[in-house]
Amino acid sequence: MAASDHTHADEASAGLSVDGLTKIYPDGTLAVDDISFSIDAGDFCVIIGPSGCGKSTTLHSLVGNVPPTKGTVTLDGRDITDAPTYRRDIGLVFQDFQLFPHLTVEENIRYGLERMDVSAAEANDHVESMAEMMQLDGMLDRNPAELSAGQQQRVALARSLVLEPKLLLLDEPLGDMDYKLQKRMERELLRLHRELETTFVYVTHDQTQAMRLADQMVVMNDGKIEHSGPVREVYNRPRTAFTAAFVGDSNLFSGTVTDVEAGGAVAVVDTDFGAFRVSTANADSGAEELVGREVVFAVRPQFVRLDDDDGNALDCDVDDVIHRSGEGTQIVMTARGSEGTKQVQAKSDDRVEPTADAVTVGWDADDAILLERTSVAGDVDLQEDILGE
Amino acid sequence: MSVTVERETAISIDGLRKSFAGEPVLCGIDLSIDEGEFCVVVGSSGSGKSTLLKCISGLLSFEWGAVFVDGEDVTNRSVETRDIGFVFQDFEDRLFPHMTVEENVAFGLREAETYDAAEISRRVNEALQLLSISETKTSLPSELSGGQQQRVELARQLVRECDVMLLDDPLADLDYKLQKRMVLEIRRIHEEFGSTFVYVTHNQDQALKLADKLVVMNDGVVEQVGTPEEVYNAPETAFVGRFIGDNNPLLGTVTEHDGDRVVLDTDLGTVVAEPREEPPAVGEETMVLLRPEDVSLGDDAGARDNGSIATVEDLTYTGEYTEFAVSLPNVTHEFQVRRPGDIRRFGEGDEVRIGWDAAEGVCYDRLSASDSVTVDDLMEV
Repeated sequence: MAASDHTHADEASAGLSVDGLTKIYPDGTLAVDDISFSIDAGDFCVIIGPSGCGKSTTLHSLVGNVPPTKGTVTLDGRDITDAPTYRRDIGLVFQDFQLFPHLTVEENIRYGLERMDVSAAEANDHVESMAEMMQLDGMLDRNPAELSAGQQQRVALARSLVLEPKLLLLDEPLGDMDYKLQKRMERELLRLHRELETTFVYVTHDQTQAMRLADQMVVMNDGKIEHSGPVREVYNRPRTAFTAAFVGDSNLFSGTVTDVEAGGAVAVVDTDFGAFRVSTANADSGAEELVGREVVFAVRPQFVRLDDDDGNALDCDVDDVIHRSGEGTQIVMTARGSEGTKQVQAKSDDRVEPTADAVTVGWDADDAILLERTSVAGDVDLQEDILGE
Repeated sequence: MSVTVERETAISIDGLRKSFAGEPVLCGIDLSIDEGEFCVVVGSSGSGKSTLLKCISGLLSFEWGAVFVDGEDVTNRSVETRDIGFVFQDFEDRLFPHMTVEENVAFGLREAETYDAAEISRRVNEALQLLSISETKTSLPSELSGGQQQRVELARQLVRECDVMLLDDPLADLDYKLQKRMVLEIRRIHEEFGSTFVYVTHNQDQALKLADKLVVMNDGVVEQVGTPEEVYNAPETAFVGRFIGDNNPLLGTVTEHDGDRVVLDTDLGTVVAEPREEPPAVGEETMVLLRPEDVSLGDDAGARDNGSIATVEDLTYTGEYTEFAVSLPNVTHEFQVRRPGDIRRFGEGDEVRIGWDAAEGVCYDRLSASDSVTVDDLMEV
């Protein structure tokens, strides 16, 4: 299997750049509100967010079937904001495949090539190598209806990629598939992306899929970008509480910074559930400026332990213990605070069994992520807006 | 080990066979589900799992076999008289759009004409509270989110206070975040409600989290029945090993027996493996399955029973885990390796040693409970 050749000249150039994109629909809905992001050529970018966050409008602006109200889209140095879809040098793959039912697999893959200035011999070569890469070699004469969902999606991918687009746009392409097939197709997409030099932009609401596939994530909410950056950064150093809650699981607490310790490395945050020590590594403001401020902090379930060694202690009632084979144990608990209760989750890679119905949990200050901002959108209720409840 | 509790059998299925247009869909299903148990039937599309659920409910008739509920043969009874609740995936279409949540939930009870207003009101309030949607009582379905609508549909079934509830992939259409939360809710509802749940899904993550008893179906037959941990840790067939969780397959021919172990000739060279059940005979071709989380990397791999040099093709950090796709000499498919946390010791393109013990890479004599399954099919699972 040929690893992609990363030495070509385009390597350093920006693949896709979106600047100040705004979309107001005729009924006055502000779907996308002045967003900017760029993706390096050859990267795998996933746009993620809850329903109605503007991710689909953004994708359709890239496709060219939603004219932006303001802003520009640049692909490989060329302004394509007003270019028709077929002149954009992009490929499209949707959830419902959209194959031609009356054409064979081979004819489906060849379809776009016939509309380009490509000799028959060259087209044959392209179709053949694409079919091999997609493991469709044995089924070129079949009709799409005879194929499984996974095979049909591979035909859809082959049909787009055979045209060697600069950018491949994927709109929830695995949405309707069985769990098992989704997992397999995720691996296929990663392999394909590795072997090609095409930039991928992928839209989904499924954050595990996003984490698994993306080099770069664009987290959207309410028409704006909450965070755009590499997966590691989005997960470990989220800019907002919204991002911390939406990408991966989080226990979120809010409170007031009363003091800083350890030369400013740790903030003491007073909450309804007690005072906790929180690392200031994720804060933009200087430690001293934080004192007196209202903040949120997040603790990932895998860092919540059934002990209180590091001075952070929280008394909880155990509600449920789930042993998920292959992934250890998930413990669902309720913490009681002065103003109400809160669900707290802990996860262990090993199989653990809490010994009592009431436990004290804790975490290292370094594993608590300080979040100065709740969201880029005003007036966000984390519970309501993230879970859609 | 959990304490054994004597439980009555709630549902018993004997030799159930069903075909559509001469094509067998269920090929002799035997299954027994205890009272109060959470039974999850998991399988891919076309495995027959939804058909099985419809046969239990009475929505579909079948050619052979029998269904018993609480010891009573209900095979020839109508849907209405089986007293079974069922919840479907397409909940939006099932709620009456012009009725409030309260009216929707009360509808079935009012129609039945056997309950007085006070009893209906008690049951409705209790169900809404249990599902944490009391505040939506006077709302119309269109004013609710997808998750709330699905809860209303659940409430409509819960108020019937049936001893048996059938659920056909009820969370499939919800957003990812909401699905995860509803899994916890459904566990709580089952715990508090105490009735027998039979839940069908293709989503094995949900299945492993929800089930007391897990039933793996494939091609119209039951592959395995057990607790999630039994099924995951000791699959009875290679199909189950491939289908539930991830498993790296490696084909080999048995060259000798070494005590309880077998020695195999594989594309990777000589490999020792423990057999799942009976050791396959010398000369037989068999499949070794190895979980991604059981593969050691780097220095940890040295002292294992089996090992190889591998090349890291891809590395994915998912927050909780780091997943590696590695290529191995002479093996056509990549292996998946998963370690907890953020592993940065190895990068893409690096050569790294992998290793595993004979007890972790288990070889399977039986491919599947279905006769038609081939090695090639299993590679595609």
